[in-house]
Order: sequence, then structure tokens, then C-alpha cells
Amino acid sequence: MGIRPLLIVLLLLAVSCSGPKPHSYQKSKALMDTFITITVVSDSEATAGAAIEKAFVRLEQFGNMINFFSPDSELSMVNNNAGVAATHVSPETLEVIDKALYVAEKSGGAFDPTIGPIMQLWDFHKNTKPEDAEVKRRLPLVNYRNVRIDRKHSTVFLTRKGMLLDLGGIAKGYAADLAVETLGKQGIRSGIVAVAGDIKAFGYRPDGKPWNIGIKNPRQKGEKDEIIATIPLSDKAISTAGDYERFFIMNGQRYHHIMNPATGYPAYGTRSVSVVADKGVFADGFDNAIFVLGPEKGRKLIEQLNRDFPADAFIIYDNGSEYITTGINGLLKHEKEH
Amino acid sequence: MKKSIKGTTISDRLLLLFLITASISGIFLARDALPESGEVVIELDGQPAFTAALREDRVIRLQSSVGPVEVEIKNSRARIREAHCPNQLCVKQGWVSRGIIVCLPGKIVVFVGGRGKHKKKDLDAVTG
Repeated sequence: MGIRPLLIVLLLLAVSCSGPKPHSYQKSKALMDTFITITVVSDSEATAGAAIEKAFVRLEQFGNMINFFSPDSELSMVNNNAGVAATHVSPETLEVIDKALYVAEKSGGAFDPTIGPIMQLWDFHKNTKPEDAEVKRRLPLVNYRNVRIDRKHSTVFLTRKGMLLDLGGIAKGYAADLAVETLGKQGIRSGIVAVAGDIKAFGYRPDGKPWNIGIKNPRQKGEKDEIIATIPLSDKAISTAGDYERFFIMNGQRYHHIMNPATGYPAYGTRSVSVVADKGVFADGFDNAIFVLGPEKGRKLIEQLNRDFPADAFIIYDNGSEYITTGINGLLKHEKEH
Repeated sequence: MKKSIKGTTISDRLLLLFLITASISGIFLARDALPESGEVVIELDGQPAFTAALREDRVIRLQSSVGPVEVEIKNSRARIREAHCPNQLCVKQGWVSRGIIVCLPGKIVVFVGGRGKHKKKDLDAVTG
């Protein structure tokens, strides 16, 4: 080989290798009483870091607005004013409540953001089961139809004294949407936001593939965080409701945190529901609703939803059988037997 | 040796130089793609506070927003041995050889075995 052709080859190689290549950058933070991990694809570490920080700041602000336990949160103000007066709230708080009411309506109340008075009775750290009489006494306070939203004046009003909005079943999915929106405004085109198990993926990984999401086995056999299946996602959100997240077993009965708003007790018949949707807020809200509805009605709900927007579900029932909607049937890859 | 170098042309030498450069950069590229392992990274309120080798047994004592926290590393595993949070969930989690221990009230995060928690399985996140 003469020197000239070799130099050309080397020059071409140098040119093809030059320029910044996109990498993924990841940061995690304990926020909103949970653990949040944001991964973004960027050709600059500084750009990625700044964008992630902005997303964290927005999530912290949102978390402060809807914190059920903080007396200063907007949500607490709404709850404290129940039966008294309407409360002015920020656009984010108004929107997440509005979406929660939409999910409640669509699911016929299987998801109900006014579940607060019942949730207060259960303590999954101390394994406390409430008295039946107390559950019965508080149950009439659970009714999403008694929430009044005034979009024009940005106010929320709970019509009965003692009502309590609890957005724990939907806020993390909405937060994932907010984080992705914030990252987009910072010029980030690809990434993945995981607000605990509420995940929203957008764009593609640096290797050009969709983001690969693991779905936890609801009955872990040995290894912690054992995966039952994986699913590749891009521009989609996924959320899972499971009876294994917060629970205790008393007299052979499993008491978990997904309450049936109609009874005030945990819903049975299902181990876990993973919902894939365009928006995190819907994936998060509807996974709870489908879980509460149980095998037959839950299946019908996901079929009905598909007429309004693309929604898919992977459901594992109490007997270990599974239901996978056609939209994700070819994508879902099983890891292990369960 | 000298004889063999003398017998090469400029093109051969340039090719040799290119191959050496490519090999060295390959090492760095591969290292970049692999997850960091063998490390324990402790973060307080989102900021890295301490990094230690997982193979060296030791106890790390740090101040968090809920008081002192003790992270113990032993036999290539780590745990939060002591924390002053109300529910003690982080302490109850026990030993972890690869994964994350989180204390939400204290905003303490312990990455065990590096940050690439799910990299072994090529997972980007886990739901559930």
C-alpha cells in the first residue's frame, strides 16, 4: 500500500470518529417520599446534568404541592377546607386532580382519589388493620363525585367535611410526565424517568434501541428485584400496581395497600397490573383501577380504554395466570417462570 | 529487532501506530461501557458524600438530616447499620451485595456495586 491511500484511510477514520457521541447520563435523588432516577442521552455531560437538575427541581416543587402529610402543601389546604370552602391551587395540582377524577369516572370509582380517610386507618409499617366499624364509618366520605373543580378560577372543593384527597395512586405517574416535559424544554430528546416504579421513556438509548424495562415478579422467589418479564419502550409510560409493595399477613390473609374504594379493604383477585400508556398519569391511575376491578371487569376496562387512547396491560392474577393485551403481546419477553 | 524496524516502510509504521492507538482507545471505550462495580457510593440529599471499595471491610459514619447514619461494608456486601429515621426500613433491608439502599426520611442513598444496578440484565429501569 502506498503512503497516500493509507493516509486517506486514516483521515477518513479520524473524521468518522470525531465529534461528540451521545452518551447516557444518570442521576438519582430521594424526592416526593420516593426514589427517583433520571437518565438522559446527550453529547454533553454538562447539558445532561443541568437538564436533570431542572427536572429534579420541578419534581420537588410538585412533590411539595401534593404532599399528603405536609401541613403546608396545597393538597393539605384542600383537605383542611373540606366542607368549608374552595381552595386555590397551582395548575399542576389542578391538572393531576382533574386527571384523577377522569380515571375515577372511567373506572366507575374503582380508582378514587378521595380514598384518604380509609388510607389513614391502615399502617403497613406497624401491620395495623383497622376496626370494621371505623372503616364503615368513614366509607361514605369516599366519593370522587363530591370533588368540585373550577378550572376558570383554579380551585378545588371537597363538598363533605372529613373528605381527604390522597393522590398517592396517581401523582408519581404525573410526576414522570412533568419530568419528561421539563427535560424536553432543555433540549433533551431521549431519556427515561423512573419515579420509583412509574416509568416514562422517550426517544431511544444511545445504541439506537428502545429502553428496556423490567417488570418485577409479584412473588419473588429468592433474588431481590427478580424480574418476571421485560418490555422495550419508547415514548411510552409504564406503571405497575402490585399486592406485594406494602403489605402484611395476618391470620393467613394478605393485607396490602391497594384499597377497594367500595369496601375500604384491599382488593383481591390480582397480584399485579402493569399498564402501558402514552401518559404516565394514566398508566399510574389505571393500573390501580384495573387491579381493584379484578379479572373480568379489569379486562373490560382496558379494552374500553383502547377506544379512547392506546393503552395496554400485563395482568397477573391470583392463580398465577396472565393476561396480555394484543398491543404488547409480541413485545413482552418472559424472564422466568413464576 | 532493529533490523525488523529498518525493514518497514513509512506506511507500515503508520499502520502500526494506528493499530496501537486503536487498541488503547478500545480499552477506554470498553471500560466506559461496563458498569462500575466493586464500589459503594453514599449520597446525602442527592450529593455524593462518600465512595468506598466494596472489598474493604469498614464502617462509614456520616451526618444526615435525620442524624448520624452508619454504613457497614463487610464481605463484599453493604448495609445501613444504624439510622435515626422513624420506620428503620433502610436498616431492616439488611445486607445488599448489588443494588440500592434508600432511606427516604434521611435522603440517604447507598449504591452498592456501582450505579449500574440493572446493567447486568441490560435493563434501564424496573417497574413494580
